[in-house]
Amino acid sequence: MKKLIFCLTLASIISSQPGCRHPRRGEPIVGPLPVNDPAVARGRIVYAQHCHQCHPGGEGGLGPGLNDKPLPKFLIKTQVRLGLGTMPGFPEERIDSESLDDLVNYIVALRHHSKPLPGRLEGHK
Amino acid sequence: MNTLSKGLMGSGFLLLSRRHLLPSLLALTAFLTVSSGCYLMRPNKGGGQAKASPPRVINATDVALPTGYRIEAMAEGLTFPTGVAFDSQGAVYVVESGYSYGEKWTTPRLLRIGANGQLVEVASGGRNGPWTGAAFFEGAFYIAEGGAMEGGRILRVTPGGQTQAIVDGLPSFGDHHTDGPVVGPDGWIYFGQGTASNSGVVGPDNLKFGWLKRAPSFHDIPGEDVTLVGQNFASVQRGKITGAFVPDGEATSHGQVVKGQVKCSGGILRVRPDGSNLELVAWGFRNPFGLAFSPEGALYATDNGYDERGSRPVWGSPDFLWKVERGLWHGWPDFVGGLPITEEQFKPPTKPNPKFLLAKHPNKPPQPAARLPVHSSANGLDFSRSPDFGHVGQAFVALFGDQTPVVGKSLHPAGFKVVRVDPQTGVIEDFAVNKGRKNGPASKVGGGGLERPVAARFSPDGKALYIVDFGMMPHDKAGAKPKEGTGVIWKVTREGGEK
Repeated sequence: MKKLIFCLTLASIISSQPGCRHPRRGEPIVGPLPVNDPAVARGRIVYAQHCHQCHPGGEGGLGPGLNDKPLPKFLIKTQVRLGLGTMPGFPEERIDSESLDDLVNYIVALRHHSKPLPGRLEGHK
Repeated sequence: MNTLSKGLMGSGFLLLSRRHLLPSLLALTAFLTVSSGCYLMRPNKGGGQAKASPPRVINATDVALPTGYRIEAMAEGLTFPTGVAFDSQGAVYVVESGYSYGEKWTTPRLLRIGANGQLVEVASGGRNGPWTGAAFFEGAFYIAEGGAMEGGRILRVTPGGQTQAIVDGLPSFGDHHTDGPVVGPDGWIYFGQGTASNSGVVGPDNLKFGWLKRAPSFHDIPGEDVTLVGQNFASVQRGKITGAFVPDGEATSHGQVVKGQVKCSGGILRVRPDGSNLELVAWGFRNPFGLAFSPEGALYATDNGYDERGSRPVWGSPDFLWKVERGLWHGWPDFVGGLPITEEQFKPPTKPNPKFLLAKHPNKPPQPAARLPVHSSANGLDFSRSPDFGHVGQAFVALFGDQTPVVGKSLHPAGFKVVRVDPQTGVIEDFAVNKGRKNGPASKVGGGGLERPVAARFSPDGKALYIVDFGMMPHDKAGAKPKEGTGVIWKVTREGGEK
């Protein structure tokens, strides 16, 4: 069982490299993100306060895109807490544990909300 | 137990056995390094890195909007348009700037857009652009004249083209100019005034921009008396040093007081339509380019955040949407959206942390209503007021798009779109973007969609959103290369509403 967990973890890490998934998640491209889950709704606000500026809508900007990197939740939390490279870490005083849970729920919901509306991804490079 | 272990335990990583922890940590480190790290080694891939050359292709079907909205180009071939206004009959007017970064000078103009998109000149200016926007009030247009050559002005222009300056002598010779204007519910004319420099110190970046050579004694001016720490930086003049709020080559000392002025840098001011009673509303902004009143009558401003350039570079500063707090200092040059500039997150990767320039801060700066993407250049905005258009009370903000590499580095294009912002929560959602697998200006991603949205304003009935698209402006290491005759006015309506 432990080996299985280990293999799955590694597989998820490897598969999380940028691949064929598209990063775009804006309403004009994929339609509005359902936010019926209160945790996702709260997480969206946390994201707007701390993350959107470098990863707008989960796409790339100053920093890399997030939407095409299916990191497991615990790794997302780890990177948010510790930071990496030029990305700052966000300690408990900036994002408390409950808000971090909400944030991760939002990031994952956004990642899964990937089906484009007809014709929105076509026609360009 | 080190910080990493604590973080991982807190994240549930110890689902794995101790035997597997080390290899997993190595794999995690490798992954994070490859996917997110090595920022310094990754090239700049901002949106200005395109080989844009006229003629510009215009194709509204290349712009994606939320379901139920449609977009059309209603005027083309404009040179550096920056604003749109409506007279009392609802006729549409556009302002051409007359100046663009890249030291490109043309004639600033106010043009009426006819029914078939033909352009009729109403007024023109001299070599003192950029004209950055216009508003119509009680029979006249009010235009912000950027003032790069002779200082900023607010002009009153009649429909017959007679022009009179109601405010002049604004400090606009530097990086940023006189912005706006907008008419308040109180009948006053509100406008913004940008700063001379990136972060309070004149330096080599200003020489590169071109203005320091023609205005060597120009510098930032505070909105009230400030006391300096006395930090100095290398001057562009050999052997000299430069402090904050002084000309290049002039040193400052600890405790030195710089007098404040109403006509300050980084301020929002207001004046009566006849030019009387000029007042400072608030200051401590960097470049409050866009102003708009919410349906409740609150004043909001967009603000272009710090760049990673010059003597005092700042890394990772977003742009802002502020709910303007009257009488307050909003943080420039020592705070970034309510956070101290000394925080580690604003340290450029290869340079030291910026330190405070002011020995005492006028007040605790407020928090912004929203943080917009770094380098996206949040510019003109307006609030939806009509249920026919939808999203009543939300701000529609034009994101001009990054100007990398001059302003810093971006791994992907930032901006080049119109977003809507919920000012209550700060949540930002795309509204008008180019189609395709990647975001960016049309000249980079292909197609005939948006290049550089610089303003967004609703028609007087609130049923149509007009997007002012500045046109092609690619960048290289030497700066901007703006293309004349590539500006567009787009009109967005909701299907079932106005056609």
